[in-house]
Amino acid sequence: MSSGASVPELAAPSPASPQQEAELAKLIVSVLSLEVVPEDIQPEAPLFNQGLGLDSIDALEIALAVSKTYDVKLRSDDERNHRIFASLRSLAAHIEKHRTR
Amino acid sequence: MATRLNAEALAAERTRPEWTRVPERGSVTLARFMLWLVHGIGWWPGHLLLYPIAGYFLLASPRPRAAARAYLARALGRRPGLRDLYRLYFTFASTILDRAFLVSGRAERYRVEVHGLEALQAQIAEGRGCLIFGAHLGSFEALRLVADRGCPVELAIMMHEANAARLKAVFDAVGGTARTAAVIPLGTAESMLRAQECLQRNGLVGLLADRAPRAERVLEVPFLGQPAPLPTGPHLLAAVLGAPVMLAFGIWRGPRHYEVRFEPFAEPLPPSRAGREAAIAERVRRYAERLEALCREHPYNWFNFYDFWRRDAT
Repeated sequence: MSSGASVPELAAPSPASPQQEAELAKLIVSVLSLEVVPEDIQPEAPLFNQGLGLDSIDALEIALAVSKTYDVKLRSDDERNHRIFASLRSLAAHIEKHRTR
Repeated sequence: MATRLNAEALAAERTRPEWTRVPERGSVTLARFMLWLVHGIGWWPGHLLLYPIAGYFLLASPRPRAAARAYLARALGRRPGLRDLYRLYFTFASTILDRAFLVSGRAERYRVEVHGLEALQAQIAEGRGCLIFGAHLGSFEALRLVADRGCPVELAIMMHEANAARLKAVFDAVGGTARTAAVIPLGTAESMLRAQECLQRNGLVGLLADRAPRAERVLEVPFLGQPAPLPTGPHLLAAVLGAPVMLAFGIWRGPRHYEVRFEPFAEPLPPSRAGREAAIAERVRRYAERLEALCREHPYNWFNFYDFWRRDAT
C-alpha cells in the first residue's frame, strides 16, 4: 500500500461525482458562451484542440472562472496541467480535490 | 514531455497555415548563420553579406515575392519595381542580422530613438501590467534595446509554438536562459496563464497581433484598401485579463539604427461580457488602421511574406 509513496502526487485524483462534472460542464458552457448544451460534453473527451476544440484563451477563461467559483488556483508552472486540462473529468477531479468552497 | 511536445508541434505543423511555414524557417537557418557571424567575424562583414543574401532570397522564392509585390503595390500606391522588392528583402535580412546581435546582448553600437517612453512608464507606474501588441513590422526584438537599457519590470514575449521552438535553439545558443525564460510559447493550455501571471507581477507581455494562427478567431477589417483577416485573439485576451494595451514597433531606419515607438492603445475593458464583442471589433479595426498608417510611412518594414489578404482562399 505504501510502496508507491511518491506516486500519489502525480497520480490522477479519484473522479468527482457526476453532479460535480455536470456543474463544471455548465460553468464551462456559460463562461465560454458555447453553443452546446452542458450534457453534450463528453466527460472523457479532450477539451482542447480536438474534442470540444477549445484554445488557450478558453483555457484562461476556464481557469479564471474555476478560481472564482471554487477558489482553486490553476497555475502555469503546475506540471500536471496537461492532465488537469485533458478532459472535463480530469478537471472536475482536480477541483474536487483542491476546492475550499 | 519534451519529445511529446515536439511530436505535437510537428503534427500540428502539417496543418498550419502558410505563414507559419514561410519565411520563418528560412529566417531561422539564416539566424543560425548570423550567430556564427556574431561570434566569428562581427557585424560589418555580416552586413556586407546581406546584399547577396537579400538578392538570393528575392530570386529564389517566387511565392513570397508575389505576396511582397502585392503588398508593396498597396503600401506604395504604385507598381513596385525590383528595387522596391530588393529594399524590402534587404530590410528584412537586416533585422534578422540585428536580432542575432540584440539577442546576444551586443547592442553597444546601435542607435535607437525611442518615442512614447513616458506613456509606457506611466502605464508601468499603474502597477497592473500591460499587454504590448506589435506586428511583423520592423523588429520586435528591438524592444529589447529599450528593455535592456533599464526597463524596471519583466518583459515576456508570446510566440507561436513551432517558431518559438526553433528560435529557442538560437536564443539558447547566444542569449542564455534568461532570454529563453522570457519567451512564452503560444498554443498550450498554460500559455495564457503564464501571461496572466506575468501581468500580475506588473510585467509587460508582448505579442504580435497581425497574424491569425487559427481561422476561427479573425475579423475581416479594412487594411490598405481591401478587407484582410486580422486576429481577434489578442484583443480577446486583453478583455479576459482586463489588461491595458499599448502598441510597440521597432522600425528599421538604417544600419544599426532603430526607431522604437510606444503608443497607448486601449484601457482595460470592464469585466462584464456585455458589449465585449463590439469593443473587440472596434479594437481590431483601430489596430489595422494604425498598422496601415505605419505601412505607408515605412513601407519596407513589413515582413508578412504571404498572401495577407487571403485572396487565394475560397
